[in-house]
Amino acid sequence: MSTGTFVLKNALRNKRRAGLCILSVAVSLFLFVTLLVALREITIPPEDVGAASRIIVRNKISLGTLLPARQRAVLERLPGVAAVTPFTWYGGKFRDEDATLFGQFAVDPLKLPVLLPEARVPPEQWAAFFKDRRACLVGKIVADQYHFQLGDRLPFTGTIWPCDLELRVAGIYEGTLDDRNVFFHHDYLNEAVGELNQVGTWWVKARSLDQMAEVVAEINHAFANTAAEVRAETERAFQMSMISMWGNIRILVRSICSVVVFTLVLVSASTMNMAVRERFRELAVLKALGFRRRQLFAFILAESFGLALAGALVGVGGAWFFYSHVSIARLTQGIFITFEVTPRILGQAWLIAVGLGIGASIAPAVAVARMSVVEGLKTLD
Amino acid sequence: MADTPMVVIRNLSKVYRQGDLDVVALNRISLQIDSGEFLALMGPSGSGKSTLLHIIAGVDRPTGGECRVQGIEVTRLNESALADWRNQNVGFVFQSFNLIPVLTAYENVELPLLLTGLNRRRRRQQVNRALELVGLADRSRHLPRQLSGGQEQRVAIARALVTDPALIVADEPTGNLDSRSAHEALGILQSLSRQSGKTVILVTHDPKAAAFGTRTIHLEKGELT
Ligand SMILES: Nc1ncnc2c1ncn2[C@@H]1O[C@H](COP(=O)(O)OP(=O)(O)OP(=O)(O)O)[C@@H](O)[C@H]1O
Ligand SMILES: [Mg+2]
Repeated sequence: MSTGTFVLKNALRNKRRAGLCILSVAVSLFLFVTLLVALREITIPPEDVGAASRIIVRNKISLGTLLPARQRAVLERLPGVAAVTPFTWYGGKFRDEDATLFGQFAVDPLKLPVLLPEARVPPEQWAAFFKDRRACLVGKIVADQYHFQLGDRLPFTGTIWPCDLELRVAGIYEGTLDDRNVFFHHDYLNEAVGELNQVGTWWVKARSLDQMAEVVAEINHAFANTAAEVRAETERAFQMSMISMWGNIRILVRSICSVVVFTLVLVSASTMNMAVRERFRELAVLKALGFRRRQLFAFILAESFGLALAGALVGVGGAWFFYSHVSIARLTQGIFITFEVTPRILGQAWLIAVGLGIGASIAPAVAVARMSVVEGLKTLD
Repeated sequence: MADTPMVVIRNLSKVYRQGDLDVVALNRISLQIDSGEFLALMGPSGSGKSTLLHIIAGVDRPTGGECRVQGIEVTRLNESALADWRNQNVGFVFQSFNLIPVLTAYENVELPLLLTGLNRRRRRQQVNRALELVGLADRSRHLPRQLSGGQEQRVAIARALVTDPALIVADEPTGNLDSRSAHEALGILQSLSRQSGKTVILVTHDPKAAAFGTRTIHLEKGELT
């Protein structure tokens, strides 16, 4: 028999209790990982460089109110502006879907490479996209999800706009923060609606990052006191204003996480306490046989650690395996896409398990260290 | 070596403070136990027998006086030195056996050897020899609950002697045994003192058990009579 065998036999002496403890640690940590991953996904900060140098111009009244197409010329003449494209949400239904979960945006195709530099598209696909008025670029995630091939025709039914569209897949892009959109020619939308001459929003690219604030102010100023006043802001600010809606959710999720961890500490601590209490007399015998305090402490710690880490292996490992092998996008109908269990989140969960292992063993270890052999021998079984 | 005393006790006292009240468990006891002696310690309940045994065995500390075992002042050793000393020099036998229920007889006997530097093969030799000595070589794979009370106590005796300690202390080891098992257990302790020269201290209420010893002393209210 080795010391390891001894610890193992002790830990497994009450198999049901050990099993339940491992299970509760596993379930809690699974939940913990899930909450953190979900929280991360809904609040990923837009940190790509593209977003930092883009300016979104919308109608001051609301995001849904259109802007006149003639504003483009004014925007293009502003000194700090490098490129401008209309950016209009079509919001159609794809085929016979009830709700289509990817966006379709009408843009100026020639300006798109400048405004969306992070999008990776093969040159021949760009060319095909530019050439054909009915062409579209599809995000990799959507293309994979629907198994789109180049040349496929995608029928859309208008819900906001009084027109249906048929787009041809000319290319597939990837590398943006959210490869889940379809971009097509604004001219096509214009033509389909019939002399639209309006756009949803403008996307403006500033000449340099230093000029961002200046350009934003210029744009706001340029249309002040006109029939269509605008509100310009950086894309990052725009996204942040969306994300801030999630602020309360973040607090909520964080508090749920804390409660989960707290409960977990209570459960494991009481398990270890029971496990040691019922063995008090045996531990006194071990002391009499010559085992030192430090060794008994190590036994208790090893047992506590073993339970916590076994739980973590099942719970954290299970979460990692589950979320990396199951299509969360399909399961949640596109609400969550990547649901990535990041190394950071894995680290946090393991850290909690380690803390749990140590934390749960402190009280019983102190009790055992304090116990004298004579006192321990007197405890009844 | 039989002429150097195993235990030398001088003016040994143990006083428990309980609020304003002092409970005197041992009152200035002086005693000498020779090597190889089989000492029976008798006395009424509460007379201090266990207390004295615990101090000699190094699991309790006196409040006054000296207790030397093999020339070592046990009362002055620190916790970890005392733990090592117990492992090497003392074997314990308890009234309620105190075997670890999840370990087999073999593993229970092996337990004190885990603290020595012995390799697995040497450990196996010693465990087997100890189990043979108590007549349980064929039960080594049994768990305590698969053994009778008498067998359990013999396993406990094997555990006490497996490290080959000079001193074996037994606190009412036959208290939970029928007379036949008690007779067997006492016989083993007797032969340990007679043939292996071990010093055995036996606490008992039973004069028949005490008769196995080479000497009997009586404690009453913390004093030798
Ligand atoms: N922790 C303690 N606190 C206070 N008094 C104690 C404590 N332990 C023992 N005593 C007292 O010390 C005295 C001696 O106790 P001890 O256990 O040595 O008696 P004993 O001779 O072994 O009795 P028994 O035959 O019943 O086992 C008793 O009066 C007991 O009440
Ligand atoms: Mg007693």
